[in-house]
Amino acid sequence: MLLAGTLPAAAQAPVAAGWQLEATGLLYGEQARARVVEPMGRLTRLFANGRALSLGLAVDAITGASPTGALPSGQVQTTTSASGATTTSSSASLLPTHPFEDLRTAVDASWVEPLGTLLSATTSAHYSREQDYASLGGGLKSSIDLLGRRVTLTVGGGYNHDRVFPTGGTPVGLAPDSDPRVPGENPKEVATGLVGLAHVVNRRWLLGVTASESRERGYLTDPYKVVSLVDPATLLPDAQVTEKRPATRRRDDVLGSSVYHLQHDILYLNYRYYWDDWGVRSHTLDFKLRHDLGAAAWVQPHVRVYGQAPAWFFVYGLTHGPPLPAFASADERLGPLRTTTFGGTYGFHVPGSRGEFTLRAEFMYQWLVGHPPEAAGTSGGGGGGDHDLRRAIAAEAEGTEGNGRQFGTSIGTLLIGYSVPF
Amino acid sequence: MASPCDVLVDTDDEGVARAAVEAARDEALRVERKFSRYRDDNIVHAINHAEGRPVAVDDETAGLLDYAATCHEISDGRFDITSGVLRRAWVFDGREHPPDPRAIAAALALVGWSRATWREHTLTLPAGMEIDLGGIGKEYAVDRAAARIAEVTGAACLANFGGDLRARGPRRGGRPWFVGVENPAAPGSVPLRRLELAHGALATSGDARRFVLVNGRRLGHILDPRTGWPVEGAPRSVTVMAGSCIEAGTLATLAILRGAGAARFLEEQGVQHWLIE
Repeated sequence: MLLAGTLPAAAQAPVAAGWQLEATGLLYGEQARARVVEPMGRLTRLFANGRALSLGLAVDAITGASPTGALPSGQVQTTTSASGATTTSSSASLLPTHPFEDLRTAVDASWVEPLGTLLSATTSAHYSREQDYASLGGGLKSSIDLLGRRVTLTVGGGYNHDRVFPTGGTPVGLAPDSDPRVPGENPKEVATGLVGLAHVVNRRWLLGVTASESRERGYLTDPYKVVSLVDPATLLPDAQVTEKRPATRRRDDVLGSSVYHLQHDILYLNYRYYWDDWGVRSHTLDFKLRHDLGAAAWVQPHVRVYGQAPAWFFVYGLTHGPPLPAFASADERLGPLRTTTFGGTYGFHVPGSRGEFTLRAEFMYQWLVGHPPEAAGTSGGGGGGDHDLRRAIAAEAEGTEGNGRQFGTSIGTLLIGYSVPF
Repeated sequence: MASPCDVLVDTDDEGVARAAVEAARDEALRVERKFSRYRDDNIVHAINHAEGRPVAVDDETAGLLDYAATCHEISDGRFDITSGVLRRAWVFDGREHPPDPRAIAAALALVGWSRATWREHTLTLPAGMEIDLGGIGKEYAVDRAAARIAEVTGAACLANFGGDLRARGPRRGGRPWFVGVENPAAPGSVPLRRLELAHGALATSGDARRFVLVNGRRLGHILDPRTGWPVEGAPRSVTVMAGSCIEAGTLATLAILRGAGAARFLEEQGVQHWLIE
């Protein structure tokens, strides 16, 4: 969390010099889609003079299937053929997916260096690698305590150089799948800056606000996503093209946060507003309450709601025939996405041990709502209608009123963690 | 059966779906074990290795042999379960292979249902001759599997074994199953047609991109047992709708065996059909 770095030193729990080890295992599963297993370890060394070193290592094993962006076929549930193939038995109302499997390895390191009593600087670097993606980056952040340490100002920046090298080459955007792919890799650069202010209102209440902006340049398209072309007569998809996104993206966000110590509990409330020049606008509201169960255990329920407006080039499908627009994507993550999350964390000390166990379980439901932007339906031959074609096609195939729930995804996360000072 | 087998069941109950798939799989494996010519422990192996001796068969096998005999008769010998040996004389790998007339003649010497003696649950084949129920066995398995699913679950279902399929009952709300007709030029791409099926079967026959070039001429893999040569002038793909998959499959095969006369043959039969030239 960005806020963590903007907490005034006075608000942070005094920590004795020494080593700290954290180990977590995370299981993430999307209903009938992706599965992720992520073991992670972090080693932190705090020095008496305020210096700190942190080293992290994470491995993600990802398997499963991901929606291709194509519309449900609406047409057939299976095929009759002389070739012996049954082609597809996915229901006419289901979203097409493609299977994938990947292993991601990530390492990071950071160093905190106090500069006098009021100022500190954090230097960080990270590298991660997966089958078709590599990311190398670094950052610098500096905090200064002001007004008798009641206010902390943080300023930071970072730079990432990523490389995308899709399996089988890079597809030409908005072209048939079968078009030849371009071998080699594609660069992607990300520069980020942030300014944060944290204010100790009183003994119990801490308020913070952080603004950040990042600028991305390079290959920002998802090489594995496609957009369906829809026959204007039947409104059923009859072909598909690869997706294409602009080569630059400017992203901004503002995060406001409040930490309030009640008599026994701690109440965390965050609100984030995000906007970018692709037209995505989102609101996130996040609530947590930490409640101690005696001295050795605690629970922390968690609720989050998220809503976003789609990117200007998001479409459910494009009309087959007229010239294609310059950019189009049917990726759910750029659509009118909503998510709700419920979860909780349970932490406890094993008697006689200095270590603490945490157990976190979360359930998230995500779905698309509303209409894609009108512009997509009227300009550049895009759209394929201004309503969610997936529901219309599913309703036609299933003979039911499409309520869209069938396109929602349930996601579960389970995390087991152990941290111990030594 | 060496091809993908799909079972669609209209239910919200995972237990019902599992029971349906298990019933279909068990029945498909049973039919395959019993009638595959690639095994050495079944009735087909016993018949093919009898060396001229008569072989007694059970009711189920007799039913299939009766059916094959009828097809042979009404097709004037074009449909023949003893014609499998002709495949030895041809290589359908899409390349130029001049046929060897001696190999074709040698194979033809071992072909001809009329040379078999079939009566009273007993089949006698001249030594060296073989039967192959592959031309009807898969379709029979589809019919049997669909029947078993209906017996076990009572749910509406559709069984599709390698592109030949049988539906038992419409989906809830009276909606038919939607079945695509594969584009023979691009298997796996968008289907050429959408057919609706609530009861009955669909089967498709065609050259399925298995062919040989003879002096630059493309010849499909369906052989006429009377000449030993591939049938010429047939549509790329013939799809037939009928009450059972075994009928639909046989009619589609018989149509292909008529070559350029496929469409007329199907019209005479009075069955719904779709041709792709």
